[in-house]
Amino acid sequence: MPIEYYIFLSLALFSIGIVGVLTRRNAIVVFMCIELMLNAVNLLLVAFSKMYYAMAVVNNSATTFGTDGQLFVFFIMVVAAAEVSVGLAIIVMMYRNTHSVDINFLNRLKN
Amino acid sequence: MNGLSLFLDVNESAAVDYFPIAVQLIFAVGFVVTMIAVSAWAGPKRKTSDKLETFTSGIATHGDARQPMAVKYFLVAILFVLFDVEVIFFYPYAVNFRALGWDGFYAVLMFVAFFLAGFIYIIKKGALDWEG
Amino acid sequence: MNAIILSAIAGVVMMFSGIFSKNKHALTNTAIAGLLILLIGNILDTYHVYTITVNTHDMLHFDKFGASFNSIAIGATLLYVLLSGRDIEKVGVNVAEYYALVFFALCGISLLSSFNSLLILFLGVEIMSIPLYILTGADKKNLKGNEASLKYFLMGAFSTGIMLMGIALLYGATGNFEINPSQSLINVPLTHGILGPLGLLFIFISLSFKVSAAPFHFWTPDVYDGAPSVFTSFMATIIKSAGFIAFIRLFSSRSEDLEVSWQVILPLVIVATLLIGNITAVFQQSVKRMLAYSSIAQAGFMLFALYGSNDLAREGIILYATAYSLATIGIFAILIRMKDYTFDGYNGLAKKQPLLAFVNTVFLLSLAGIPLTAGFFAKYYMLASAIKEGGHSALWLVIVALLFAAVSVYYYFRVIQAMYFKDGEAEMSETNKGFRILLVIIACIIILIGIYPSLLLDRLYF
Repeated sequence: MPIEYYIFLSLALFSIGIVGVLTRRNAIVVFMCIELMLNAVNLLLVAFSKMYYAMAVVNNSATTFGTDGQLFVFFIMVVAAAEVSVGLAIIVMMYRNTHSVDINFLNRLKN
Repeated sequence: MNGLSLFLDVNESAAVDYFPIAVQLIFAVGFVVTMIAVSAWAGPKRKTSDKLETFTSGIATHGDARQPMAVKYFLVAILFVLFDVEVIFFYPYAVNFRALGWDGFYAVLMFVAFFLAGFIYIIKKGALDWEG
Repeated sequence: MNAIILSAIAGVVMMFSGIFSKNKHALTNTAIAGLLILLIGNILDTYHVYTITVNTHDMLHFDKFGASFNSIAIGATLLYVLLSGRDIEKVGVNVAEYYALVFFALCGISLLSSFNSLLILFLGVEIMSIPLYILTGADKKNLKGNEASLKYFLMGAFSTGIMLMGIALLYGATGNFEINPSQSLINVPLTHGILGPLGLLFIFISLSFKVSAAPFHFWTPDVYDGAPSVFTSFMATIIKSAGFIAFIRLFSSRSEDLEVSWQVILPLVIVATLLIGNITAVFQQSVKRMLAYSSIAQAGFMLFALYGSNDLAREGIILYATAYSLATIGIFAILIRMKDYTFDGYNGLAKKQPLLAFVNTVFLLSLAGIPLTAGFFAKYYMLASAIKEGGHSALWLVIVALLFAAVSVYYYFRVIQAMYFKDGEAEMSETNKGFRILLVIIACIIILIGIYPSLLLDRLYF
């Protein structure tokens, strides 16, 4: 499949994520949209990694060119997990105080 | 060659050959839809409170399923997510175990040490105490 | 490398010391000892005396610039803990964890000051940011703190997503994550047409979020206002400077392909940042919120280092980071002790606490960029680097910056005016001798650098 398909697909997923973050009001849903953005990036990285491998393997069958893209995906997953745990802890903390996860509540700081 | 030609023959079958299957599909779907529609239209309707209740094999229901859970559950869930995903680094190491040699082993040992430090920390903090 | 390893270890040690000791003062002292070891380790590293060497496969590149910045960040953190340690102890019960998180943030900073691969940039930004999300919400019962924490977290995670998209697109354009090691710039043939520039734009947007440059600054006042004041001090100074170091390492020399769009976007961002930061700061009633907006305004000046991106800019950003961090840490240390955070709360402070009012004045003058203080040379180097790089085309930008610097004098002087020329009962919690001596020392450093900036800048070269 041409690489353009992957680029368009992941850009579409990424845009859905961005629109979700900007428009949704539920903290958990916003959070899921951010995860969607990260996964769009993962998809794109893996697609590029495959593309570069396919390009390099024509000249040299023992190449490892392009593996760093896949390694990056591992790191994104791990960091995303760390972020999820911190984010959920923050949301739980807020829920215990306000009994809501609606971010429209977040206007006490605007004087 | 015989097998291959047979295979090709099957592939070259015309759309007409699928006609009986289409008829059967239409009949099956039509039958189901008709039966449901007729029974809904012809059958008696008596809505009692017992009937509208969730079916729980005869045990009386109590409360809402979406009641707040203990915060401890979230804590354990969060910790699980963390420790679950960190294992992601073990798989690439296991695959390249020989190629990475002693350097890789030391790196993984350090990783496990940090991991263990975190684990000891949450145990000492009492995060896994269900009773406390 | 010393700074990265030692800060990670110090963080873990702090975590465990919280389990074995409940004595808050002892924990603060442990943190101070840890920071001292870290500082010594980093200085040894700077002069290649004793260095832990790890094969980083060219993902990290250590140079004088990064090591000097590490020293400044660690030194500023040390001063910060010495000044505000007592206030950190008051935030909540988990004092050891707060210090551990500060150490982890320092680990992220030392990654950011030496990264040579986009992977390390990503990890550094995350290791620096995640502890801050927690520190912002450290006061668990305070609703404003909760909101600030959630807002900071969502915005931070969002900008991380954008940065990752930028990195992925750059990877698509170039096939690797390296930044040219010799000049530390993205100077690669951007073969795939749109992908490379788009990727750089995404990374630029994301880093603008982190340093709160203009169109992406909106979270800053709320978060700085809602977070516990002690941690606002840390966020507004050390973390913000680290963001700029990452920025400069990445974009320190722009590739020719980007020159045109760069010359359009960056001045716009600078002017917008200066405009919004300065004008909004004028209308604030709370000193804490004023400082939040002033930090946006100062970010506008620091962006000049990006515009200039020559040796002068590199010297300038080190100077700016020092001057700005020291002055802001000092102002916050005094602010935290005040009963009332509004301008009126400072009324008549000079009569009750003449010494504190005087050092506060020095800090405010430095932020405003008055000559004989470090802030003056910091701003001077920034503008000079822009002139050197852009020549006459940069002149209008420099004039705009000077105008806004004049505006900033207004709101900094409002505090001075309140302290000296208004009658009132400025209430302040008690301060001990060490606190005052330390503030005087910081004021002396600011004036010393303001007279002899070469004292600091020569360290960059030998």
